[in-house]
Amino acid sequence: MSPTPEQTHPVTVEERLFSLVLALIATQIGLTKTEILSTVQGYRQRFRVGGDNASLERQFERDKDDIRELGIPLETIESQGDPGSNHHLRYRIPKGLYDLPADISFSPDEIMLLKLAATVWREGSLSAESRRALTKLNSLGIDSTDPVIGYAPSLRAREASFEPLSKAMDRRQVVAFLYLKPGESSPRRRVIAPLAVVLHEGRWHLYGTDQDAGATRTFLLARIVGPVVTVPGLSAAPADDGQGQRALAELDALWQAQIAVITVEPGSDAAVRLSKRGGPGSAADSVELHYTDANILADELAGYGPEVFVLSPPALVDAVLARLRRVRDAHAPLPEMEIGR
Amino acid sequence: MSIKPAALGASDKLTFLLSLVPYLMDHDRVSVTAVADHFGVTPQRVRDAVNLIAMSGVPGETRQYLHGDLFDIQWDEFENNDNIVLTHLVAIDDSPRFSAREAAALIAGLQYLSALPENGDRDAIASLMAKLTRSSTGVPSQLAVSRTDADVTISVIQGAVRAGTQVEFDYLNSRGTAEHRCVDPLRIESVDNDWYLRGWCHLREAMRTFRLDRMSNLRSTEVPADSHDDGALLPDTLFEGSADDLTVTIELPAAALELLADYGPVPAGPATTDGLSRAQVRVSHFHGLKRLVAGLAGVVTVVDPGLARQTVADWAAAGAARYDSPAGPPAARDDEAVR
Repeated sequence: MSPTPEQTHPVTVEERLFSLVLALIATQIGLTKTEILSTVQGYRQRFRVGGDNASLERQFERDKDDIRELGIPLETIESQGDPGSNHHLRYRIPKGLYDLPADISFSPDEIMLLKLAATVWREGSLSAESRRALTKLNSLGIDSTDPVIGYAPSLRAREASFEPLSKAMDRRQVVAFLYLKPGESSPRRRVIAPLAVVLHEGRWHLYGTDQDAGATRTFLLARIVGPVVTVPGLSAAPADDGQGQRALAELDALWQAQIAVITVEPGSDAAVRLSKRGGPGSAADSVELHYTDANILADELAGYGPEVFVLSPPALVDAVLARLRRVRDAHAPLPEMEIGR
Repeated sequence: MSIKPAALGASDKLTFLLSLVPYLMDHDRVSVTAVADHFGVTPQRVRDAVNLIAMSGVPGETRQYLHGDLFDIQWDEFENNDNIVLTHLVAIDDSPRFSAREAAALIAGLQYLSALPENGDRDAIASLMAKLTRSSTGVPSQLAVSRTDADVTISVIQGAVRAGTQVEFDYLNSRGTAEHRCVDPLRIESVDNDWYLRGWCHLREAMRTFRLDRMSNLRSTEVPADSHDDGALLPDTLFEGSADDLTVTIELPAAALELLADYGPVPAGPATTDGLSRAQVRVSHFHGLKRLVAGLAGVVTVVDPGLARQTVADWAAAGAARYDSPAGPPAARDDEAVR
């Protein structure tokens, strides 16, 4: 295979994508796939007239996806006279949907706030999304006011399930995963149409429609075991705008309703930290803590060892005590160590 | 504020090209360095992008990418003076919209920032979020972050950072020792729900990180803070190891390693028990470790050294013992003789 004589320099991926965007914006009626492959920079060099262009066509399919991922409205128009035919599909990017709406503007204060908001994501795909959003904001040429000094807030989503779940949500895919509820010996498979992914009390939750139960459920990402897979053939109904807030409201209501009463050892780490988070209880040194999940609170309270004594509810007392005993027993002296003593 | 430089993919490069065009259109003559500053990129990246833009365009009537079908710049200005003057535009003349995920990332970031005292104006934040929603191609993904109530601690420290004064507070470290600290505050950092102050500790005469929820009796003072080169001394990671750190070997399921990411676990091969892995972590003393491990019952077990194992066992045993009698005996305190 020899390169066409016309090709003086290798066309980079960004040059090909840029040329494709320009060509599709410039056209009113749209371009057919053949027109694109034979004329647009980056494709035309590899196009064979009357030959097999299968790999070039696959390249175009991937490029279309990449362009749409960036929020560029690449449309497909069916031919009037020949509906359903792939050959006469036309592609274009309507300029009115591509351009930022004309009445949108941001003040220097807002730009400053958005820049800070973008730095919140330090890792994962949302960090890349934030970076690209900032680049687009910078194109407006608005200088931001001086940044708020002395802040470096950050959010992170370390759970491996975060990326696949949030992507599936965007693509309205139904997902399946194994979910291990505390107290159950083995994880159970769940099939969920994701509606929202929310951070509540420092933990990521998935809110979605359980396909078996036919009702919404909330899951802790930390309890998802193994990979999240998409379920072929099923797609989720478009989610309306309020799902994230609905999920948070449900978690807030749960948090409000559940109260643990503990006592804390005066002057201890538990006293300083937990007293700040909860309200004073009726008994001396007692603290009332709202919580969303008893097992998560039990993990945390067990970490304080003897500094915390749980008064109620009874299930929480049992959960904390069981954890402390388990840690104690798991750390019994090893046989070799006893010989050494 | 530092962000890890990520490898730039074609998506980033394309976004930059599409964003640079409307910016250049609005600026009749602009230097490469000014553009680099505004976009926060290297001057070379700007030059590369301008070179590419100036050679690009649409196939045109002839489908030959003729001169009039391409962007054009004043090449002399560009090559001799490092200035950019765009003289011909093709196809695009406006900023692109955000993708649904881009808007969602910023909206979730804004929700998180609304916990900060400066951003308490909910209406302003709500209007900004509405603007982002309207500026996005699709409905922004439903990614939401609950509002945490602003702690007064944050505003006191923030006021001191602005005024350039010291703060003082009582601080209980993880060994259970309370000390009065005077600190030149440099930066408030957070990871999810945990907030930290980083600053110069006059007691330790070193940079230190303090958890806000371990502070008591915080007040700002009139004492000017020393100059510390505007935080340049601050390392990127919240928790710095030191040469005196102790190495501890733990066993855990490999998937649980991410729970300990802050401690920089180093994998140390398979454990004797099936399905578990060994890893080594470095800790400054065993008192932080015992709290960590007791909070991860059934997940992490300390193997070595024996003293670390013993410290964890004693901590959990003392906690469990409180439930032996109905009244609960007095809690065991950190024994300073035990490391």
